[in-house]
Amino acid sequence: MTVLQTIINGLFLGALYGLFGLGLAFAFGIMRIVNVAQGEFMVLATYIGLMLMPWLPVHPLVLIIPVALIAFGFGYAVQGSILNRVLDKDPMPSLLITFGISIVLRNLMVQVWSADFRSINIGKLKFMGFDVLGLRIGLLPLVIFGTVILLFVALYLLMTQTRFGRLIRATADDYETIQFFGVDYRRVYCVAMGISAALSAAAGMLIAMRSAFNPFSGVDRLLISFEVVIIGGLGSLWGMIVGGMVLGVAQLVSLQYDPNAGLMYAHIVFFLILMVMPSGISAWRRR
Amino acid sequence: MAAEMMSSRRFFYVKPRSMLIVLLLLTAILAAAPSWLSAGTLRQISEFLFVFAMAESWNLLAGFVGLISLGHQGFVGIGAYSLFMIANASGISPHFAMLFALVISALAAAAIAPFLFRLRDAYFSIAIWVVAEIARTATAKSHWLGSSIGVVLEATRHMDRTWLAIGIYWWAVGIGIGSIALLFLLVRSRLGLALMAVRDNDLTAASVGIDVGRARFIAFVLSGALCGIAGAGYSMLSYHIDPNGAYDGNWVVVMLFITIIGGIGTIEGPIIGTAIYFGLREEMGDIGNWYLILMGSVAVIAMIAMRRGIWGTLTRKFAFELFSVRRLPPL
Repeated sequence: MTVLQTIINGLFLGALYGLFGLGLAFAFGIMRIVNVAQGEFMVLATYIGLMLMPWLPVHPLVLIIPVALIAFGFGYAVQGSILNRVLDKDPMPSLLITFGISIVLRNLMVQVWSADFRSINIGKLKFMGFDVLGLRIGLLPLVIFGTVILLFVALYLLMTQTRFGRLIRATADDYETIQFFGVDYRRVYCVAMGISAALSAAAGMLIAMRSAFNPFSGVDRLLISFEVVIIGGLGSLWGMIVGGMVLGVAQLVSLQYDPNAGLMYAHIVFFLILMVMPSGISAWRRR
Repeated sequence: MAAEMMSSRRFFYVKPRSMLIVLLLLTAILAAAPSWLSAGTLRQISEFLFVFAMAESWNLLAGFVGLISLGHQGFVGIGAYSLFMIANASGISPHFAMLFALVISALAAAAIAPFLFRLRDAYFSIAIWVVAEIARTATAKSHWLGSSIGVVLEATRHMDRTWLAIGIYWWAVGIGIGSIALLFLLVRSRLGLALMAVRDNDLTAASVGIDVGRARFIAFVLSGALCGIAGAGYSMLSYHIDPNGAYDGNWVVVMLFITIIGGIGTIEGPIIGTAIYFGLREEMGDIGNWYLILMGSVAVIAMIAMRRGIWGTLTRKFAFELFSVRRLPPL
């Protein structure tokens, strides 16, 4: 029964990992930029959330909204001031630049907030839960799961149902043609990176409610996001959740047997999947 | 002899054979240096040359094959641990065990290459990072590998420290100069032409009959082996390794910084880059991680404003090359 319970917890955690991947895949799908600093975006947003806490006496779950807005502005600024300068067909400059940004952010965060582990205190919610069919379901993982699904649905509706979503998709398809219609694709890119950063910020806040973090946690977060994208497949919103769930279950089940393994088994599972289903993965194309 | 120039319209470069002779002379001078340099200076030169060779191994992939590795710290760790474990277990001289570090890193590169090459561009870059993370965690969990405390190089306990340091220094000279020679010969070879064609456009390269996968594979294994043996040599300088140091992600930051600032895709660039890196570390070493912040910012700015790096910009401006990779058309 404990195994079943671990699997259910893994599925909840995995959906959150799906949100990790969504931020990365969204930026890649539109701008063909793999944002290596995504993990640091997530951690930075969490520190900003911690700083806002004394000023905004609301529940941490509500705090996600202002934090996501700040992250949106941050993503918009990074794209506009730095990444829009390297929009050529060569993927190397944007990769190296985002890697450089990640180094700067990580070490600045160490300088400002030290390497101590912190977490977001969510009060009583952490200990609440209920029993279903003899299984103990924590309320917090369930709430996080619900928030993740809400964000996925919101993004899906934004992309498919609104004029703005059409604009983004058209820019992703052909940024040259879209200019004939009077669209500044660079501004669309800024907004897209803003959305990606806001999604990452929400994911960062949610994971910090579950477990402690420090400035070096960004690396783990990036690697998870990347694995989710590869397993789930690009262009498939729901593939992200499936990819995340595979990793979430792998991580929590392996921790039962080998408590100090961290993400090692999740990484290994990723490679096994890469080995057995290369066809789902080899479809990556250059722009 | 080095002054003997050839001109192809505007571009001046030194004859390749002359450069190889210069390298041999340089090797001879450096090899004789222990007779007049102090132990501290020798150690600094060794450190310089090992880090330089790591940067060249990264540059080989990034500059000439178009593969950005964010997981090269994995090779540093594998090289270092192979050296320590084999020297400790067998009792052979660590200087001899360096060869095993070379072979094991090459084998590790060959083993992971088929998986990594399923992914392209940035996805390759992050996948190799995942491999390095697996290696780090697995090492930290393994009792046999000293878990998170690390391993001491016991084989050196009864050795004369002076001669040990000089031996390490000679390895550093061999690996440092060897890395220049390796890149120079490789890039000027038929395979080198194939690699650069793959870097510039892999589809076109394939269409003219280049085996893209094979070319990438050979370059990847060479790079891994070079990085591994350089990492092993560096770790021998301190007689102790632990997983967080040997597999430190900042190794890649150093290699990347040195290559980008010096000039990605040039053989000479990393020499300048390594000098700048050690200068920076000397100046800012004691104020925590500010030098990492500076290195990251400089890399970002260089990629925007000076993508060719210092050496690449200079060669453009003055139309001059030392280790030229260009070929002259037959007259």
